[in-house]
Amino acid sequence: MSEYRGLRRAHILANHILRSPPPSSNLSLTPEVCLQYSPPELNESYGFDVKEMRKLLDGHNLEDRDWLYGLMMQSNLFNRKEIGGKVFVSPDYNQTMEQQRQISMKRILYLLENGVFQGWLTETGPEAELNKFALYEVCGIYDYSLSAKLGVHFLLWGNAVKFFGTKRHHEKWLKDTEDYLVKGCFAMTELGHGTNVRGIETVTTYDPTTEEFVINTPCESAQKYWIGEAANHANHAIVISQLSINGTNQGVHVFIAQIRDQDGNICPNVRIADCGHKIGLNGVDNGRIWFDNLRIPRENLLNSVADVLSDGKYVSSIKDPDQRFGAFLAPLTSGRVTIASSAIYSSKLGLAVAIRYSLSRRAFSVAANCPEVLLLDYPSHQRRLLPLLAKTYAMSIAVNDLKMIYVKRTAETNKAIHVVSSGFKAVLTWHNMRTLQECRQAVGGQGLKTENRVGHLKGEYDVQTTFEGDNNVLMQLVSKALFAEYVSCKKRNKPFKGLGLEHMNSPRPVLPTQLTSSTLRCSQFQKNVFCLRERDLLERFTSEVAELQGRGESREFSILLNHQLSEDLSKAFTEKAILQTVLDAEAKLPPGSVKEVLGLVRSMYALICLEEDPSLLRYGHLSRDNVGDVRREVCKLCGELRPHALALVASFGIPDAFLSPIAFNWVEANAWSSL
Amino acid sequence: SQVLVEEKSSVRILTLNRPKQLNALCFNMISRLFQLFLAYEEDPSVKLVILKGQGRAFCAGGDVPPVVNNMVQGKWRLGADFFRDQYTLNYVMATYSKAQVSILNGIVMGAGAGASIHGRFRIATENTVFAMPETALGLFPDVGASYFLSRLPGFFGEYVGLTGARLDGAEMLACGLATHFVPSSRLTALEADLCKVGTSDPSFVSTILDAYTQHPHLKQKSLYHRLDVIDRCFSRRTVEEIISALEREATQEPDDWILTTIRALKKSSPSSLKISLRSIREGRLQGVGQCLIREYKMVCHVMKGDLSKDLVEGCRAILIDKDRNPKWNPKRLEDMKDNIVDQYFERVEEEERWEDLKLSPRNNLRASKIAAKL
Repeated sequence: MSEYRGLRRAHILANHILRSPPPSSNLSLTPEVCLQYSPPELNESYGFDVKEMRKLLDGHNLEDRDWLYGLMMQSNLFNRKEIGGKVFVSPDYNQTMEQQRQISMKRILYLLENGVFQGWLTETGPEAELNKFALYEVCGIYDYSLSAKLGVHFLLWGNAVKFFGTKRHHEKWLKDTEDYLVKGCFAMTELGHGTNVRGIETVTTYDPTTEEFVINTPCESAQKYWIGEAANHANHAIVISQLSINGTNQGVHVFIAQIRDQDGNICPNVRIADCGHKIGLNGVDNGRIWFDNLRIPRENLLNSVADVLSDGKYVSSIKDPDQRFGAFLAPLTSGRVTIASSAIYSSKLGLAVAIRYSLSRRAFSVAANCPEVLLLDYPSHQRRLLPLLAKTYAMSIAVNDLKMIYVKRTAETNKAIHVVSSGFKAVLTWHNMRTLQECRQAVGGQGLKTENRVGHLKGEYDVQTTFEGDNNVLMQLVSKALFAEYVSCKKRNKPFKGLGLEHMNSPRPVLPTQLTSSTLRCSQFQKNVFCLRERDLLERFTSEVAELQGRGESREFSILLNHQLSEDLSKAFTEKAILQTVLDAEAKLPPGSVKEVLGLVRSMYALICLEEDPSLLRYGHLSRDNVGDVRREVCKLCGELRPHALALVASFGIPDAFLSPIAFNWVEANAWSSL
Repeated sequence: SQVLVEEKSSVRILTLNRPKQLNALCFNMISRLFQLFLAYEEDPSVKLVILKGQGRAFCAGGDVPPVVNNMVQGKWRLGADFFRDQYTLNYVMATYSKAQVSILNGIVMGAGAGASIHGRFRIATENTVFAMPETALGLFPDVGASYFLSRLPGFFGEYVGLTGARLDGAEMLACGLATHFVPSSRLTALEADLCKVGTSDPSFVSTILDAYTQHPHLKQKSLYHRLDVIDRCFSRRTVEEIISALEREATQEPDDWILTTIRALKKSSPSSLKISLRSIREGRLQGVGQCLIREYKMVCHVMKGDLSKDLVEGCRAILIDKDRNPKWNPKRLEDMKDNIVDQYFERVEEEERWEDLKLSPRNNLRASKIAAKL
């Protein structure tokens, strides 16, 4: 062994000396004396059926996903490249912003031609919606700009027409939107108001003499801002505006305005400016819009909730403006669902790359004359990546569950969807950012190369923590909803029903004082701990708020002052909701290796959540010894998940071409002969 | 002998020698080739393996009738063994650490493609006729075809795999199924030159081949000129959508080639078409080993015959009665439901333990440099 090492060192040294003049072209580097890439598949075996696990994670439309992956791989529009003997498809982010926007649009038209968007707006029902979700997710794995552009066109513009509009709008716009004869955008956010939609300043009035609405931007802070597709491509806009009828503000309403003609010229009374270069998503043409008393036909009010008759009379089926506002915004839930699911696919991408790399890259020897150690064989490296992997698994299952509830939504489930999707959107997108950062560092300098994706994705996905509702505000929304539920149940002296709060009707679970390994891995214990945490935080939050209210503070202000408890509560709620979906999924599996490994993953998820949250220790539910036990168990689970790491990322079902060169033979990819 | 062996210094020339049957690969030939290839890989004095065929075919396919006999007699496991050995051979060729040069001077179909395309160099000539005709036979393009067809440009692989279209040497070169085109009159000289190779470095073989290769013009009516239509239609999600896309093209601009293509699809086994399309689509995202393991699953379902007996019927209509009028069951594409298609891709449930195709790990590090460039 040592003789071999000596020889190898001599070779390496000789190579250095030989290489000091640039090598002539026929001098091939001899791979035997340098580091060799060894594919992880050679040394790691799959301990469970990866195909079955993928079915669980992707959840639905696997064949359609694979079709779309293939559709992108086989077209030259998707920047196919061969690196190190493998084909990769990934956008050329070195293109200018303008080029990236143009190529994104071309890619969309190619997908359109191949029927990818068929039925995205004109078909209804769970099957059609799941198909749309699946294909949308695949687009995001290729490039988030691509899916953001589709999101604006189909989920914002298209769904607004579908949900806020009535028959006349559906007939006029939906099919044309699906065929891209109309290119839509969604003008809601303003310079002065974003997440607080109710405060927007754009004003629309009605002119009965011509039967037209007049949309106006009264001040600079009312300019529409960040409007995706507005800078270049959209010719129609959904405009969210205050509606003023005879001097009375009827609140926020939704209108359709044409902003460009068929040749792409900006319409009169509309001004558009570019938002410029961004830290990511440069394939999306975000713009700013000003309306200078733009006139639109009366029929362009999307009138599912309220209407203005030709004489100017305002009519609405919902009298209370608060409820009306809620009805307007309810359909936007689908945006949060898709953001949460695409965040998880981004984490999968980052982890697949980082874990594959850590199974082929070595660094440092433990002792002299020993071979260097594989990155993922370091307990510290396991601790960095495997808990994030477990969380990604849990969240992937959770967001699938949310999708299923969403596509089968009823009037009864709408509230739960609203609350759960808010929590999931925030927690999953935060998780994604954290995961990407960890993966970037875990692959070292290679993570800085755009072609390796993990580092670059941070810029592309960062926006998710802000758009469709700022994460912090969404989390407050969750705890406010829980607060309201609690107060209402107590007031009416009724049992808790919905939002997963039924456990509050039973006596408080009692945790054992000694936490053994088998206790910690027991699903009932995990469930109890999560319920106890949620219950305790909810009771503390409500009593603190009540106390302040008792001292004469308003409810709103009392809630604001308790923002720390509010944050802890909404996090506890969301993490518990996620755990519950994993337990449900696990229960449905037949006995076997998939179920066993998922059990390990679930325990890792539960325990890492406990380890990262000091509130159980703070409020005395876990002792110092207990949290020490939790911490030790996390490390033990790392060791037990380590042999499954490759299979766990293979189960993500992301084709090799959508990962990156460091996930495969990175020696060959970087070889002189590959230049 | 059904496989002739010539030893010329560092080179071994293997000739498939069953000319009356157009060199159809039988069980014995497969075992022999497997044995020889493994031995040559171990033997440091062997640097290059040349594979060719006696007579007017390189290899017109697998020896299917005995296999179908097994199937009819309820001994499908015996037939499955034939495919297991064949796919294992395909895998060895795909991960071979020495260069394989296949001289395709004649018919190359089905199993013949499997025995050549996975190798590093494929020489087409003016006599080459290539096709994957399985869907007309009630089978599906196997022997690793879901790997190599799916890696052809655009959606050409779907076209070749579903319609059984015949390609000539120029078309094979254009799409990448062949790496070189050498006129048959120069093959003797080429072989003599190749026999001088003293290294397994493919670049040396490449240099010799490059000196002989020509760049033939595609025929004016070559189907390869129709790549735009092929891409537009064969990229569609389902077989039904592919056919209606072709029919739309045909109404816009009627032409013989499109009509022939539609006819070919409509004459093929609906089961075969659907599992073939799925197989190629999955193959696009898989490595060659995974493709062969999946194809083995699929072929076992075909052999077992519990989902469809189209292979027996196809064999009767094309190879035995030769009436060319198979009665497929299910008869129509829409009767071949997704849940039935799914079953072809699942494990075979069998009283007597059935096992997945086992491919022993190979040192594919070196092989990645030698493997077929597709």
